[in-house]
Amino acid sequence: MRQAGIYSGILSGGRTGPHLLPLARIKKIMKKSGDNVKMISGEAPIVFSKACELFIEELTQRSWMVAMQGKRRTLHKEDVASAIVATDVFDFLVDLVSASSGNSVNPVDFSPVEMETVLQS
Amino acid sequence: MANNSVREGFKYHLDDHEDGQLMKEQDRLLPIANVGRIMKQILPPNAKISKEAKETMQECASEFISFVTGEASDKCHKEKRKTVNGDDICWAMATLGFDDYADPLKKYLQRYRELEGERAQQGKASSCNEEKINETSNVVPTTPLKFNVIERSNSSLCARRF
Repeated sequence: MRQAGIYSGILSGGRTGPHLLPLARIKKIMKKSGDNVKMISGEAPIVFSKACELFIEELTQRSWMVAMQGKRRTLHKEDVASAIVATDVFDFLVDLVSASSGNSVNPVDFSPVEMETVLQS
Repeated sequence: MANNSVREGFKYHLDDHEDGQLMKEQDRLLPIANVGRIMKQILPPNAKISKEAKETMQECASEFISFVTGEASDKCHKEKRKTVNGDDICWAMATLGFDDYADPLKKYLQRYRELEGERAQQGKASSCNEEKINETSNVVPTTPLKFNVIERSNSSLCARRF
């Protein structure tokens, strides 16, 4: 007899429960991405559900470092904006955050050693 | 990100219309509860997250999806393919600088494809296949794909198992 949940259990890497993000919504967002987007295979939103998880995790961690440097325990929008400005790979988001914040963004130092120690605290 | 202060519930953005149809803001963003959960999981237990930070993260995630999908679909278009698949997404991510993600994603995609193959085989249901699926669920992620393929495709091996 086929065990229920085994499929989703494996895909979430041993975590209990299915994907963390809704596949239908991901697909909708993908479809609005551009004129060249015609058909999307079933596996593409699944890859994105994991990729978005990794993306949100990385951006959150970097934003947290900014908050900690300001000796705060609450993550604010400005922390996210600072992290984006300080990270090359997030250049595509710069306009997105500068449009709304308009505030000064604090310079951040993201040396690898700092990243380790911050996350352990 | 205009009108951030009033962005609650179901809001219609006149700017987001397409073909005359108003697009609900909720449709272009991932749910805030899910996004918030992922953020919470990666932060220390005493960390707090402002609502605005979660909303910003929602916007960034959607932008990320669009950004990568755009690159992937451009590639498909150039190669005269109509369907964007998982490999295209992985490729686009590596191209755009997210190479850290590309490897774990490729493994994730690999496991998904293995499982899809097994689900297809289950349709021809023998208890033999079900045994293998139960075993596979305990396999450590580092088990190489090659090994699994050899086991699955050879039905005589299956008979010998018992």
